Amino acid sequence: MPVTYASRKPYRSVVDSHVLPKVVQLEGNLYGAAFHLMKLLPADFILKSAEAGGELLPGTTVVETTSGTFGLGLAMVCRLRGYPLVLVGDPAIDAPLRRRLEALGARVSIVSGAELRTSGVQQARLDRLARIQSRLGTYFTPGQYDNPLNPVSYGAVAELLLESLGPVDALVCPVGSGGSSSGIGSFLRSLNPAMRLIGVDTLGSVLFGAPAGARRLRGLGNGLLPKVLDHTLFDEVHWLDAPTAFATTRELHSGHCLYMGPTSGAAHHVARWYAREHPDLKVVALFPDEGHRYTSTVYSDTWLRRNDLLPPALPGAPRTLDHPAQVDGAWSHYAWNRQRHEDVTRQAAGGAA
Amino acid sequence: MEMGVSRRGVLPDNPRPTALAESEPHEEGHEGAGPEALVGIGTAPSHHGELLQGAFEDHGEIRRGLVTLPCSLFGSSATIRLSRWEPELSVRPKWKTKSLSAVRGVLGALGMEGYGGRLELHGDVAVGRGLGSSSSDVTAAILAVLSATGRHLPPERIARIAAAAEVATDPLIFDRMLLFAQREGVVIEDFHRPAPSLEVVGFAFDDQGLDTLSWPPARYTSWEIECFRALRGLLRRAVEHGHLAELGRIATASARINQRFLPVPRFERVLDVAAECGALGVQVAHSGTIAGLLFDARRPELERQAALAGRRLRELHFSDQWRYNAGSDNHASDVRQP
Repeated sequence: MPVTYASRKPYRSVVDSHVLPKVVQLEGNLYGAAFHLMKLLPADFILKSAEAGGELLPGTTVVETTSGTFGLGLAMVCRLRGYPLVLVGDPAIDAPLRRRLEALGARVSIVSGAELRTSGVQQARLDRLARIQSRLGTYFTPGQYDNPLNPVSYGAVAELLLESLGPVDALVCPVGSGGSSSGIGSFLRSLNPAMRLIGVDTLGSVLFGAPAGARRLRGLGNGLLPKVLDHTLFDEVHWLDAPTAFATTRELHSGHCLYMGPTSGAAHHVARWYAREHPDLKVVALFPDEGHRYTSTVYSDTWLRRNDLLPPALPGAPRTLDHPAQVDGAWSHYAWNRQRHEDVTRQAAGGAA
Repeated sequence: MEMGVSRRGVLPDNPRPTALAESEPHEEGHEGAGPEALVGIGTAPSHHGELLQGAFEDHGEIRRGLVTLPCSLFGSSATIRLSRWEPELSVRPKWKTKSLSAVRGVLGALGMEGYGGRLELHGDVAVGRGLGSSSSDVTAAILAVLSATGRHLPPERIARIAAAAEVATDPLIFDRMLLFAQREGVVIEDFHRPAPSLEVVGFAFDDQGLDTLSWPPARYTSWEIECFRALRGLLRRAVEHGHLAELGRIATASARINQRFLPVPRFERVLDVAAECGALGVQVAHSGTIAGLLFDARRPELERQAALAGRRLRELHFSDQWRYNAGSDNHASDVRQP
């Protein structure tokens, strides 16, 4: 049969050109899906679906609470599609991100010290969001943590992975909202029921039953349980601390020339170990964003040293836990075995130990 | 074995044809007196349901689409006799009005609206099982008209005429793998590869059959629509590399989604049987009452696997069974009964 080529065409927008990851072979059985900005995908998908469903009319203001890259994704999509955007965040939005959001026309509303002290970050953001919504009257809120279209939006990534790699045996995802992991995981599993989904979380995050606390590694983990996270898809969960994730982020750059953010380093660290443990499996890691936002932090030795974030030595293997309540240290993992969240947390913490 | 379009007169006793177009006019009539008639015969095979059926993006729109699993076990044969002087068009059997509409459609496309005549259909495609009896009749009827008139139409045009006559049609006129919009009759994606050499152990799961077109079309969730995107991605790769195992996975995933709309009784047990026999997957007619286990015809253990599948399916009370190879290179003479 003759091979036919489709001639390449220009993308119609930067969203179209940047929305899908590049699939890169890192080692024999290890592949990375490197995104420019992963959250562009749910932002674009949710707004287009709302347009098609009549929830989002020309001129409607989009309002969302986010301190991370979902806000940047929304800002890009809203700018190109002409919607006013209000983002409610907390001081985790650093000055460069804020400048970038505002340059794209977003109004950024940061909850202040007093609000934070009385009600906590998440509640303060939700209260501010509710106030803005009631003032606007007509608005659209994408709701990345509750909107089932967040995981669904990742079908195009599954399509790309399957088209370029065939059925995947194991998928390693940093988990924040649960959108990408639950979405891509469920699509890949429809074709391969044995596909292993491996979540990467961090100390202090409550996503998989670890003790709540301060999180130094941002961009993955969560202080709340998002509705879109489907725990029953996960076979295994890993917890990394910030120094380990930052060091492996640097390794991903120095070793593979992939200049990615710290959640990508965390995913790469776990995926590399998993791929070496299972040389017969095809392993894919998700790398959610690029490194430019972290030039003066994760990519700065001075900053790492000053903040005491240089790891003594990189752990070669994770500590195996009997229960997520025991999460501590640089790297630990737990065989989640597709259980429900409540079934894991109900087991007496440390009871099996 | 006679294939495709055969001219005037004798029908094969047991037509197991591949749709094919030829172009030579056949005129009958008495010299100098009486009307001259155009006579032609067309044949078309059946299919075995779909490897994949769902909803797919096509230039920014979501369309219903499918990938047919061809089946040359059964087929239809149409004979048409056309004349400018005949006032009307008629069909036998009388209830096959879709084929009659298809004849009108193709005559319209050829600028021959004024012709009347008589269409006769013969075939052995069981009705209401999702084997494509109606598509087979309609395609054979269109080919018969083309044969009679000595005209040619591209397959894309024939598919649109068939879809217009039928409401939803299978792309039996094409000789390769396609993602096809069955309601509009247009190609969503052309894979430019022949049908895969899958060995099919087919079975019926409902003797009653159903009125395939009165069945309400599936309403897919947004997850399902995006999952079809994933299936399509794997399909491109599977077809390009000839990976039968991946085609089996796609068929099973598509069949599983369809369980919400038209369930196969004891579906989970059928999946168990497939795993036990080393089948590549389970495939269904998404709007019919047949299904099949898919095997790699090149494997030496095929005979043992297929025999075991037949036995296990009978134990599940699926005793109406058949077996064939879906590959484009495999003709009816390769048919073996289980």
